[in-house]
Amino acid sequence: MTALIRYQAALLLRSQRWLAPVLLYAVFLAVGVQSGQPVLDSLGYAAAALLPVTAWLVQLCATQEPPAARTVAAAVAGQPRVHLASLLTAAGSAGLLGTAGTVIVLLISDPANVDHTVRVPLLPAALAGLLAAVCCALLGAAVGALCTRPVVHRRGWSVATTALAALLSLVTTGSPAKYAVTGLVTGSLTGAVHIPVLPLICAAAAACAVAAVVCRLTSLRG
Amino acid sequence: MLRGVDLDLPAHTLVRIEGANGTGKSTLLRLISGIDAPTEGRVTGRRPRTAYVPERFPAALPFTAAGYLVHLGRIHGLRTREATGRAQEWLARFGAAGHARTPLSELSKGTSQKVAVAQALLAEPELLVLDEAWTGLDTAARGELDRAVVERVTAGATVVFVDHDPRRLAGAVDVTHRIEGHRLVPVTAAETGDGTAGPRVRIEVTGASGAALPPGLPGAPVQEPRTDGTVRLTVAAVHSDALLRTLLTARPPWHITHVSAAAAPEPTPRTAPSGTRQAR
Repeated sequence: MTALIRYQAALLLRSQRWLAPVLLYAVFLAVGVQSGQPVLDSLGYAAAALLPVTAWLVQLCATQEPPAARTVAAAVAGQPRVHLASLLTAAGSAGLLGTAGTVIVLLISDPANVDHTVRVPLLPAALAGLLAAVCCALLGAAVGALCTRPVVHRRGWSVATTALAALLSLVTTGSPAKYAVTGLVTGSLTGAVHIPVLPLICAAAAACAVAAVVCRLTSLRG
Repeated sequence: MLRGVDLDLPAHTLVRIEGANGTGKSTLLRLISGIDAPTEGRVTGRRPRTAYVPERFPAALPFTAAGYLVHLGRIHGLRTREATGRAQEWLARFGAAGHARTPLSELSKGTSQKVAVAQALLAEPELLVLDEAWTGLDTAARGELDRAVVERVTAGATVVFVDHDPRRLAGAVDVTHRIEGHRLVPVTAAETGDGTAGPRVRIEVTGASGAALPPGLPGAPVQEPRTDGTVRLTVAAVHSDALLRTLLTARPPWHITHVSAAAAPEPTPRTAPSGTRQAR
């Protein structure tokens, strides 16, 4: 599996396809996060921005191999493992991106609540921000995996459904991503830090279930 | 596409699959190599270490030829250093050593195909599946691929191939199957003229007195003991390298006294036009 992930990561890195989603994330942060803003607000925003970016990364990784090269790797390791490696590569890159975003937000934000009256402890805030980012990345990965091959093969439909599903999973009640992000934002009003453990568990379970299903589907639907 | 396919793939076997265009040869090869799963029925047995060569390999991948081979070698389970060495070795065998540092996207069609073949051979797979892998290769590389395939079979692997040239690996094929309708039917040796077609090589050897030839010689050569104590072996040319290697590495080793090209035996009369077999 290490060799497969290394192969997929090298493909992503050298093809420079990663550039567009990374730029999108940078633009999100540049627009929504300014120095001196309350830290929990900014952490929530940065985590939310990671969800569509992760979905996009998953889509890129799942389709980056030309069919001939995919069959060659699939004969060696099996389609499910190759697909899982691409999903893990995308999720891993999103994790790096999310960590970088969280660190930047922590460095430039004001560790206080919305009206700058209550101090917010930085370490719990960092933990909450990081877990919220992971939660959003996992859910974004699940959304991306469901909206690309082997489930959706047509590129146009794939992009459209990804955009819609990413938006819905940020605003729909009951979505772990929404729960984690609102936890941070509402906590910012009073200065209380909510560590999003439950949403993280739910998002991880959803991501694992989706990965298991789509990886099995690859042998049947390509 | 395919129904009622029952195919057994034992070790030490070279299997040829025939069939007209669009009958499902590639589908069958993808099932055999474990790329796709059958919608009905199943593929049994332990999954062997498999390598697959597609018919066309226009891989627009952002790697150099050697870089791609090292990645594939690692996926096959080799260490980086081992994979690097074998990548060079196989590119050299197919006359593409000069292209090791060329990006895959800049390679010619033939050289890309050499990379595709090299990735399959470098890990010494137990099951090698070739989907018209010879297409696009130059004459020297085709001959080299023939030899490499026979080497793999001699080493105990199963090789399954499809090729439009009916004489491809003639004399070395153990089993032939043809796709007719949606089914797979075995083709008998008489129909293919197998074992008689293709150039042959005559090898004369002497061994220690009283020593018997090693059992299971590659290509099952025709053995004629001669009065002066030598044995004359006649074998299909594709098997000759593997046979020589077996003889030289046998304990006690055999001494090669003479190697010469033998005339291909007279083709047995058959319904197919004789011109197809002569065209080479």
